[in-house]
Amino acid sequence: MLKKKICMVGQFGVGKTSLVRRFVESIFDERYLTTIGVKIDRKDVTVGSESVTLMLWDLAGEDDLAQLNVSHLRGASGYILVVDGCRAASLNKAVELQRRIAGQLGPLPFVLVLNKADLRDRWEVQDTAVAEHGWPTFETSAKAGSGVEEMFLALAGKLLQ
Amino acid sequence: MNLLTALGFAVFERSGEASFRLLGPAPHWLPAGSVTEAFPFLEVFLPDAEEFWADRGARTALYSDLWTQGGATGDELHFCAIAVAGERKLLLIECAEQRFQQARSFVQYAHEASLAREQIAKLTQAKTEFLARMSHEIRTPMNALLGMVELLSETPLNDEQRKYLQVFQRAGDNLLNVINDILDFSKVEAGQIDLENIEFDLAQVIQEAIEIAAVRARAKGLALVNRIQPNVPTLLIGDPGRLRQILLNLLGNATKFTDRGELTVLVETDSDQPVPGALHFAVSDTGIGIPADRLSTIFDSFSQADASTTRKYGGTGLGLAISKRFVELMGGKIWAESKPGAGSTMHFTARFSVADAPKPVAEGSAPVVIRNRGLRILLADDSEENRFLIRGYLKDSGCIIDEVENGAEAVEQFKQRAYDIVLLDAEMPVLDGYSATREIRALGATPIFLLTAHALREARARSFEAGCTDHLTKPIKKATLLEAINKAVPAASVSDRIHVPVEAWLKPVVGGYLEKRRGDVRKLRAALDCSDYDTIRMLGHQMCGTGGGYGFEPITEIGSALEESALASDSARMRASIEDLDRYLNNIQVE
Repeated sequence: MLKKKICMVGQFGVGKTSLVRRFVESIFDERYLTTIGVKIDRKDVTVGSESVTLMLWDLAGEDDLAQLNVSHLRGASGYILVVDGCRAASLNKAVELQRRIAGQLGPLPFVLVLNKADLRDRWEVQDTAVAEHGWPTFETSAKAGSGVEEMFLALAGKLLQ
Repeated sequence: MNLLTALGFAVFERSGEASFRLLGPAPHWLPAGSVTEAFPFLEVFLPDAEEFWADRGARTALYSDLWTQGGATGDELHFCAIAVAGERKLLLIECAEQRFQQARSFVQYAHEASLAREQIAKLTQAKTEFLARMSHEIRTPMNALLGMVELLSETPLNDEQRKYLQVFQRAGDNLLNVINDILDFSKVEAGQIDLENIEFDLAQVIQEAIEIAAVRARAKGLALVNRIQPNVPTLLIGDPGRLRQILLNLLGNATKFTDRGELTVLVETDSDQPVPGALHFAVSDTGIGIPADRLSTIFDSFSQADASTTRKYGGTGLGLAISKRFVELMGGKIWAESKPGAGSTMHFTARFSVADAPKPVAEGSAPVVIRNRGLRILLADDSEENRFLIRGYLKDSGCIIDEVENGAEAVEQFKQRAYDIVLLDAEMPVLDGYSATREIRALGATPIFLLTAHALREARARSFEAGCTDHLTKPIKKATLLEAINKAVPAASVSDRIHVPVEAWLKPVVGGYLEKRRGDVRKLRAALDCSDYDTIRMLGHQMCGTGGGYGFEPITEIGSALEESALASDSARMRASIEDLDRYLNNIQVE
C-alpha cells in the first residue's frame, strides 16, 4: 500500500502527541508526557478510492534546550504545524519552524493546526494573526476529538493529489 | 553477541546495498521483517550512518536520537540506533528504556516548569488587570463621595455635624488606604512595595487609629484604652500610613471578636532591641480568643481561625497577612498570644528613626489657593458628578472652565482656543484621556492633567507615556488639584494677563462683546483657510470700529490690521493678526 510520511512539528506542549493518539487510537489522556526524539505511529486511511498508510512522525516539541532536528523530516510528504490556541507564543514558534523547514527542505505541503479548541474562550492566538499567513488552517481539539480526523484526512488528500 | 543481546542490543551487519544481516539471536522485542521495515526511523539515520562509515574521523560510534514505536509485542518501546566504526559496518539497535526514562524525566521537568511559569505569568497579568479594574470601579464613586465631604466641610456646620464629618472623612481616607494596600498586595508578596520614610507624630497616628476604631467599639459598648509609655519617643521617621493600617487592622479584629470588656493599645520600647526607635506595640482585647493550634497560621494569607469565623464575622483573612508583611518591612515581627474565651493580644515590633526636633505645627496653615486668577481650563469628563466636583473645587478660584464630555470633544475644543490647563478623565467614551492627551500634546505644550481612578504604577506610567504633565489619582483632594495647577502654571504667567479697567455701566455687555469676538476668531480662521478675504476684511472693519468704544484698543488695532492685510491679500499678516486677537482675548482680565 502507498505510504506517506507526515511529521508533526511545533512548540512543546501544544498537543502533537495527543492529536496523533486521538487520530490513531481514539484516546485522549489528560497527563502531559513530553516526547523524546521521535514517536512513530502508523494509520491506514482511505481517501476517496485510494488507500494509504500514513506514517506519523511526532517530532519532539522545540524548547529552550533543544531545537527541532530538521533532518527528521527527510522523506516526508508533508507536515503539520501545531499551535496551542491558548499560547500566543506557540504561533510565533510555528511561524519560525515553517521558515526553517522551508529553508532547508524547500516547499513541502503543510497545514496549520490550532489545537485546544475546547478551550476557545481562553485562546490568546488572534484570528487575524493566523489569517495574515494565508496558510490552510484547521481548528482541532485532541481532547474532544473535534476536527482531528478531518485535518489528517485533508492533508492526506492533499498529498495524494 | 549473546552478551549484547542480554544488554538490550540487536546487532546487524551491513551485508549489501541497504541490506543488513542479524548477528546472533533475535531479542524478543525485535519486530519481524527486515531491519529497515522494522524500524522506519532508520530512513533518516542510515544516510548519516553511511557517511560515518565512509569517513568516521576520530569517532568510534554514531548515535541516533531516541525514538519510540510499537515493538514486537505491540507495546510502546524506545530505541536508539548506533553505527559502529570498524572494518565491518555494524549497526546496533538498542532497546533504550532506561536512557529514555532518564531523558524524559529531565525534559518533562523542564517543560512542566516552563508551562507553570507561563501560567503564573498569565495569572499575574490577569490579577493586575483585575486590580486595575477594581481600583477604577471603587475609586470613581469614592472620588465623588470624598469630594462632596470636602465641599460639605466648607459650608456652615454646627460642632456636632463637623465632628461627624471629620470621622466620615477620616474613615473615607482610611478606606482608600486599605484599597491601596489591597491593590499593592501582590507587590508586597513580590517584595516590591516601598515604605515611606517621613517624619510623623506617633501619638497622633495612634490617636487617629483609635478614633476610627472607636466608632465601632463604642457601638458595641467596648472601652478603648491607649497607653504610650513615657520613655517612648513620639516624633519618629517612618511610614505612618502603614503603621496606622496595622493598628487599624488589629483594632478592627479586636473589635470584631470582642462583645464586652475593653480594647487596649500599648506602646513601649522594645526590650529585645535596645536602640532608639525600636518599639513594641500590643493590641489586647477581652474577646473570644484564638485556639492555640491556630495561633501560628492566622498570619497566613486568606486564613482565619476557623471557617465558621468567616461566616460569622466576615472579613477576607487578608488583613493580618498584609500587616505581617508591613511589620517585616519595618524590621519587626508580629505574633499572637491568646486564651480562648479570655481574649487575645496581638504583638508587633517595628524600628523607626527618631526625629531630631519637632516640626513647626502645621495647624492654622493657610488653605491652598490658585495663584493665577482667570485661568482658562478645559475639563473633559463623561461623569457629571466628577465635573460638578471639579467645578466646586475651582468655584472661588476665578478660573474659567469649559466642560466637554469626551476626549474627541476636548481635542476639538482645544483647537478652538488657547487654554492654560487641560483636565482629562482617563476613561471616556469616543476618545479616552490617553489618546486625547496625545492629540492635544501634538498641538501644543499646555499642561495636561490626566485624572484617573487607576492607582497602579502602570497607570501612571501610561499617563506619562501619553504625554501628560501630571497624573492625579482619584479621589482627588481639592488641595492636591490646586497645588498641581499652581505648580503647572507658574506665577510668571500672571504677567501675561492683560488687566483692562471697564466702566461700570459697560460691564453688563462687555462679556457678550468679548464672546462674540471669540466667535470671530473661529470665523476668521475658517475664512483664512478658504481664502475668503472679504469676510476677514469685513470682520476686521467691525472690530476696528467697536473695540475702542468698549475700552479694548488692541481689538481696534488688530481689526485695522486685519482689514488692511485682507485688502492686500497678505495671508501671513492676516494669520498673525488672528493669533494676536486669540491671545489677547484669552489673556484679557476685565476689572
